[in-house]
Amino acid sequence: MAQVKVFGYSDKLSLKVGEEVQIHVSADGTDTVDAQLVRLIHGDEHPDGPGFIEEEVDCEANGVWDVEKQFTQVGSFLEVEDPAKTLALDGSITLHAFIWPRTPEIGHRQCILGRWDNRRNFGYCLGINRTGRLEFWVGRGDEIDYVEAEVPLQEQVWYFVAATFDTKTGKATLYQEGVPNRYNSRLGRVTPIDYRSHVSEVFRFRQKNLDETPFLMAGSRDWHELRGDFVSQLYCGKIDRCGVYDRALGRAELDGLRQGGEPPAEGLVAYWDTTVGYTDRGIGDEVVDTGPNRLNAYGYNRPVRAMTGWNWTARNDCFRLAPEQYGGIEFHDDAVIDSNWKVTAKFKLPEKIRSGAYAMRLRSGDGTGLAEEYVVFFVRPKKPTGRIAFLFSTATYLAYANERFALDGSIVQPMGGQPPTITEPDIEMYKNPEFGLGAYDHHADGAGVCYTGYHRPLLNMRPKYRISAFGMPWNFPADLSVVAWLEHKGYDYDILTDEDIHYEGAAAMAPYNCVLNSTHPEYYSENMMDATEDYIAGGGRYICVGANSFCCNVAFRDDDPTVMECRKVGGHWKAWLAQPGEYHMATTGQMGGLWNKIARYGQKIAGVTMAGEGFAHSRPYELMPDAFDPELAWITKGIEPGELIGNFGLGNGGAAGIELDRYHLDFGTPPDTKVIASSGGHPDNYVAMDEEGAYAHQGFSGTHNHELRGDFTFCPSHNGGAVVATGSIAFGMALPINNFDNNVSTLLGNVVDAFAEPGPLPGAKEKVAVAAE
Amino acid sequence: MSETNEVKWRNPLAVWPGGKEIEELPTNAWHSHQDVWRARRESKTKLYPVGRLRYWYKFAGHGGRLWSRMRYWPTRRRVLDVRGEYNRKTLQREKTVADRRPIYWLLCLAALAIAPLLAPSNMQYTLLVAGATFGIYAAINLCWNLVIGIGGIFSLATYSIVGTSAFITAYLSIQYGFSWWMLAPIGAVVGLLFGAVIAFPATRLDGFYYALLTLGLNELCRVYFTTSSEFGGSNGGLYGADSYIPDSWSSDHQLLLGYYACFGLMLAALFLHRFVGGRRIGRLLRMAPEKREAFAEATGVDFRRARVWIFLIYAAALGFIGGFYVTNFGGVSFSIFSFDAVLLGLAMLVIGGIGRPEGAVAGTLIVVFLDKVMLGLGPLRLVLVGLIALLVVLYLRNGLFGIKTQFRAWRDKKKSEHRSTRAEKGGEMLPEEATETDDKGIVYARRFDKMTRDHLKTLVSPEIIEEHRVTLNGQHSDALERLLIYFRTREQVEKYGILNVVPFKNYRIVAFSGHKGVPPRLVEDRIYPSYDAACHGVFLRRVQDLLES
Repeated sequence: MAQVKVFGYSDKLSLKVGEEVQIHVSADGTDTVDAQLVRLIHGDEHPDGPGFIEEEVDCEANGVWDVEKQFTQVGSFLEVEDPAKTLALDGSITLHAFIWPRTPEIGHRQCILGRWDNRRNFGYCLGINRTGRLEFWVGRGDEIDYVEAEVPLQEQVWYFVAATFDTKTGKATLYQEGVPNRYNSRLGRVTPIDYRSHVSEVFRFRQKNLDETPFLMAGSRDWHELRGDFVSQLYCGKIDRCGVYDRALGRAELDGLRQGGEPPAEGLVAYWDTTVGYTDRGIGDEVVDTGPNRLNAYGYNRPVRAMTGWNWTARNDCFRLAPEQYGGIEFHDDAVIDSNWKVTAKFKLPEKIRSGAYAMRLRSGDGTGLAEEYVVFFVRPKKPTGRIAFLFSTATYLAYANERFALDGSIVQPMGGQPPTITEPDIEMYKNPEFGLGAYDHHADGAGVCYTGYHRPLLNMRPKYRISAFGMPWNFPADLSVVAWLEHKGYDYDILTDEDIHYEGAAAMAPYNCVLNSTHPEYYSENMMDATEDYIAGGGRYICVGANSFCCNVAFRDDDPTVMECRKVGGHWKAWLAQPGEYHMATTGQMGGLWNKIARYGQKIAGVTMAGEGFAHSRPYELMPDAFDPELAWITKGIEPGELIGNFGLGNGGAAGIELDRYHLDFGTPPDTKVIASSGGHPDNYVAMDEEGAYAHQGFSGTHNHELRGDFTFCPSHNGGAVVATGSIAFGMALPINNFDNNVSTLLGNVVDAFAEPGPLPGAKEKVAVAAE
Repeated sequence: MSETNEVKWRNPLAVWPGGKEIEELPTNAWHSHQDVWRARRESKTKLYPVGRLRYWYKFAGHGGRLWSRMRYWPTRRRVLDVRGEYNRKTLQREKTVADRRPIYWLLCLAALAIAPLLAPSNMQYTLLVAGATFGIYAAINLCWNLVIGIGGIFSLATYSIVGTSAFITAYLSIQYGFSWWMLAPIGAVVGLLFGAVIAFPATRLDGFYYALLTLGLNELCRVYFTTSSEFGGSNGGLYGADSYIPDSWSSDHQLLLGYYACFGLMLAALFLHRFVGGRRIGRLLRMAPEKREAFAEATGVDFRRARVWIFLIYAAALGFIGGFYVTNFGGVSFSIFSFDAVLLGLAMLVIGGIGRPEGAVAGTLIVVFLDKVMLGLGPLRLVLVGLIALLVVLYLRNGLFGIKTQFRAWRDKKKSEHRSTRAEKGGEMLPEEATETDDKGIVYARRFDKMTRDHLKTLVSPEIIEEHRVTLNGQHSDALERLLIYFRTREQVEKYGILNVVPFKNYRIVAFSGHKGVPPRLVEDRIYPSYDAACHGVFLRRVQDLLES
């Protein structure tokens, strides 16, 4: 019997009580699953903690669901909307485009431009064959005729390519000329290489077209008996301005196009000007045809735009400055943004459930391993009920979604200081490109992944998952340790997600006296930054329970919360590096990368941010002199001087560790910030993130560098607002030790108790009292 | 040295409170990593000047000029398979004739076409008769090659088809006065019927059994035709059929006409071979050679249908040749069914190399030359044929025309043997390897890696291994840290990791593939009860790999 595997995702991550949710499920080896709505309370199964805790919840959708195997279209491409079949040209034709092939010899044929049916061999296409040579081919069903270029295309070099086919003489001619300038390509002028190729052959017949074949860029139509129609022969690389003529253009006319001239009007069927549509706020998935027929093309799986074009001269490093130099659209044969599965179940959430992290638990077969799936989503109350809110970092979950860098990245072991610990879901993700990649991965063609979406099974946003690189709960499952603590302490809390903060702003947090952020709030959009700042400055009390806070700038479209853009830019500390000139996000026009590169230091909000990271032993905190200020004594109530705070924990045995945030006045830490406690004694596996250091030198590691520490800080703001930051990812993971009875829990409890209470903070009360006397 | 035990490493973290850190541990005496660089001044092995000889002329590329490529009308086949490329080392544009066989064919066929003009006058008769025989046998062997070489079916029925067709057409011509031009087409029909009979067993039987069946068929034909009175059982064959050679011509002209007609027949067979072998049916059959039928079927190849088709084509062509045989020689003898005809035919195929048309033609040429021209040698010439066939079978993998690939494989084997005696495992690249490596960075990386490993090997000691066991992922002594940093920074291919089978209970060691989409493989059967045990297990394997390199 086949192994049973169940995977699913929900249409929304953030829902409200009573709202309708749609679950999309694909299953192997079974046609039914047992579905049960559960509230997730604790994830980490570590024997030192409380173990996995869930609560089954009555719901109309509980029971047996019929499921089937579903398929995902992998790869990005453009499809032209052509209802009148204008492009079903069966006479003379010219196809032309500027291309920058990333990997001409990737091992399969790559289609650039054409109306081609891959299974039945009808139509015409300009593409790259398996030997990496440009090829033009036409088909009439039973036979194919083709002409290929003399030499293979070079990787990452701009070319102008064209194919002309004159059906009167039967002559098909390829036109290939390199158009590298001093900046735009991998190779420069010195390389003694001749890119040109002009080949002609006389074809035996002309193409025949099928009605249903779409005109695609970067792919061709294919069919499979289980899947039906899909797109294959996907192209990896960039395409810039391209077009179609219904006559064979002459060499001089093509030379004119190569030099950037306007396309001649005679015989023009379509001309996709990829530079049209840029605004100050980015560009969408529509590629505009400026020719007579207005045959616009639409991107699938988000072809990457705002990329440098064939005529980029590096003087302008953003499309906002010179859109005409940003005609490049990059395609990847393994991009997945949305699985687009059929809905398996659609139901209303029960009216009488409390706010929390929920999941549809799907089990089949023996219900273990891959036969058990948790489709996670987050439920807010209809109207805020509690005084406290816990914020799930869904943007960070998206950045890490289905990452597999333990299996791909050789830097993971020196970073982690340990061999990675992989599990069954890691292997399943690795084998199967249909799960898509995260912003920590590279596409198979070598480019970094800049789009990640949640309309696909996110195998690492599961309550029991442990990150393979470091062998511990990471992000969502680690955040559940804080939720379990809130639950154990009996706080009246609601939950929020990054999505709510991004789209609703500070208003989403405003009803709550106290907001706790997650263990790892790394990825923040501008809206989210603004909302957090406004909430605190407006009198809100904010606890940053984790570390690596407010680090990286990401973007969401106004109309699509499911997909996030993330470009990795900057000196060090990134999973991949965007190509020069491609640092700005197509979604918003903002510079990607670290917030501190554009002076939006996380310290301005939380008082602390990234000091460094490591994955060897975590360490405890010790109180710092500020803790002995009587006005702040409420924070450390119950903790003796000299007591080690968090000499234990589920995150490598201590409360301070994994990623650490520190106080940094030069980077905007509010000067009234108090450092209550700090950690120290981190091993050399910890390396400082030296963003202001101009040189790399020895002495950046734990035993040498005082900057490598986690700072537990307190900072009052306007209107009674305040921020506490713990400065460590491991902090939240230390809470469940000894059944939540420990000094980390005491410390956080003191802060939450004080923050949740309306009115002035205890210290301020004393201050007022002292002043009154 | 006994001193090593006295060297202690003091943990810089021991001063921090918490009480979890080990204060000190025995470690190795320090020595510089530069020792290995100092000790190494030159290669231990002899380094030869390297480079490759250029055997073939390379044409310059077309650059910006239009290259109009010619085709054989009405196919899409280009006149010559010319490959344009960049020279890997100089980036110069080059064009190479990737397949030079058409040129050789043209030269050889032209030589055969003018051969009669060059034949010495005293040998004229012998040579022209031998030439005609060569043409017919070459045609037969080319058709035979369709089933043996392309179809992969060991059919020995070839001469029974030719013979049957020859006897029937000869009979029709003698008894009913059919003219010469009707005989070959009628022969083709006879062959087609014969082929239909033997095609179906070929979809069921294979290898040895099919060879036996067809050999039996051959014998059956021989017995039938020699004993039947209609087919001239008494006078050793059927003679007196209508011939295309006009009686009125002089004998020289008759001989010449015969030669060129047979030459034409061979050309026709060559075209047939090319046509069948190079088209869809040929590709399907090459997908499904004997013993791999199931695989071909699983990939959607209907090999049974293709085999029936190839049999029908083969048999019809042989029938045509049978008819032509009769019009050429004016009749046919029973010896066509004899076992030695089959063997001689097989020898022709084997000598040239089964599966290639040039092999079939050259093999035929050699055997016919020995058999029909070296008449002076008497029966010894058949011994000679046998001897050549034997030597070919013993020493060549695929006949005379397999020599090139066989030589190259042998040369590469010798080359790599020679290299492996000079190179050390994981050592530096030899100049001949380095010149074949596109990324010169790798050449240096290999050198650096070797030096690093030579140093690290001196750091492995029982103290260090014990230190790892107790400190695992904590702070380490300099020696252990160096080892760990080296192990952890290796490339992903075959790098070790841990597979967690049952959380907190059951761990195993795996090695990563380093190739996207290819899952890691288990490296051993051992199951570790904890992560710490597995982590130390990985370290021990890495130390062992280091010491073995």
